[in-house]
Amino acid sequence: MDWPVSAQLDEARADRHTRLARCLERARDGEMSALTEVVHELNPLLWHVARAAGLSADDAMDVVQITWLELVQRLHDIRSPQALTAWLVSTTRRGAWHVESRMRKRDVDRRADVAELTDPGPGPVERALTDERDGTLLRNFGRLSVRCQQLLRIVAMVDRPDYDIVAKAMQMPRGSVGPTRGRCLAKLRDLLLDDPTWGER
Amino acid sequence: MGREMSELTGPPVEDGILERLRAVFNHIDPPPPELDERVLFAIALDDVDVEVTRLQQDLFAGSGARGTEHSRTVTFDSKSLTIMISIVDRSDGLVRLDGWLAPPAPLRVELRLAARSGTFVQADDAGRFVFEGVAHGLAQLIVHPADSASRTVATPALTL
Repeated sequence: MDWPVSAQLDEARADRHTRLARCLERARDGEMSALTEVVHELNPLLWHVARAAGLSADDAMDVVQITWLELVQRLHDIRSPQALTAWLVSTTRRGAWHVESRMRKRDVDRRADVAELTDPGPGPVERALTDERDGTLLRNFGRLSVRCQQLLRIVAMVDRPDYDIVAKAMQMPRGSVGPTRGRCLAKLRDLLLDDPTWGER
Repeated sequence: MGREMSELTGPPVEDGILERLRAVFNHIDPPPPELDERVLFAIALDDVDVEVTRLQQDLFAGSGARGTEHSRTVTFDSKSLTIMISIVDRSDGLVRLDGWLAPPAPLRVELRLAARSGTFVQADDAGRFVFEGVAHGLAQLIVHPADSASRTVATPALTL
C-alpha cells in the first residue's frame, strides 16, 4: 500500500524537478517569462517561510518580492532547482530578519501599526475552520514554543521534507533539523493525545 | 540524500499531523492572490542589473486602515540611495506622488505601472520629483543613473 503512493510522490517530485530545471535554464538564457512558472510553484513556500518568521502579511509580500528581484540578478550563479529553492528560502529568511530588526528599532511607533494592520494570527481564525479537529490542532500548535511552531510550519509545507531547505529557512545547522523536528512533533502529538477534543485516530 | 529523506519520514500519526497542519495553514493563511502578480510585475524589468531597495518604512495618515487611507509615506533604502515617496489621494480618484531622493541628485525617475507604459520625470537638484494624476494599482519606481558607472535602482512593486 505504501509503495505505490511513495513511488507516485517520487515521480511527481522528479517531474517537478525536471520542469523547474528547464525553466531555470530558459531564464538563464534570457527568457525571463520562463520564471513565471517558477514563481507560481515556489511562492507559496516562500510566503510560509516569511509568515512563519513572524512577518505581517504586507511585510511578507515585500520580502518575497525583493527575494525574486534579487534572484534575477544572480540567476547565472544558480545551477539546479534544489540550489534555486535553497537560495530563495534563505534569501527570504534573511529578508525577514531584516524587517524584524528594523521593527525592533522602531518598536514603539511601530507597535500600534502592527496591531492595527496585521492580519489576525491563529486565534479568531480558529473559528473559520470548519473541522473541529483542525481547531484543536491549531490551538495545541499555538502552545508549542515559537521555534517549534516556525519549524513545523515549514516542515509541513515542503513536499518531501528536505533538511537543507528547512535548515535555510530556520537559519539553523543542518544537523539539528532532524532532532528538533522530532522533538517538536512529539510534543505536539502528546498535547493532542491529551486533548479530549482531538479524539483518536 | 535518500537516507536523509527516510529519516524524515516519521511514523504515520505524525505524518498525519503534518498533513493536517499543511492544510490548516493553507486554509487560514494562504499566499494572497496578488502575490504572484506583484512578483511577476516587479521582475519584468527591462534592465536586469538593478540595485534593489528595501522597504524601510510605510506610514499611513488619515483613516488609518490600510487601503482606505488618504495619504501614505513610504521609504525605500538601498546601499547607494534612499527614496521617499508620499502618496496623496486626489479628489478625482487619482493619486499624486511626491518623491525625494537622498543623497539629492537630478536623476531620471521612472514610474512603471501595470496598466500602461511607464512615465518619466526628472528630479530637480534637491532630488525632488512629482508624478501627477497617477491611477491606483501596481507601481514600481526606477531611478536611472546619471552615468554608466552607477547602477539603476528599483523599488519593489507597491499598490498605490
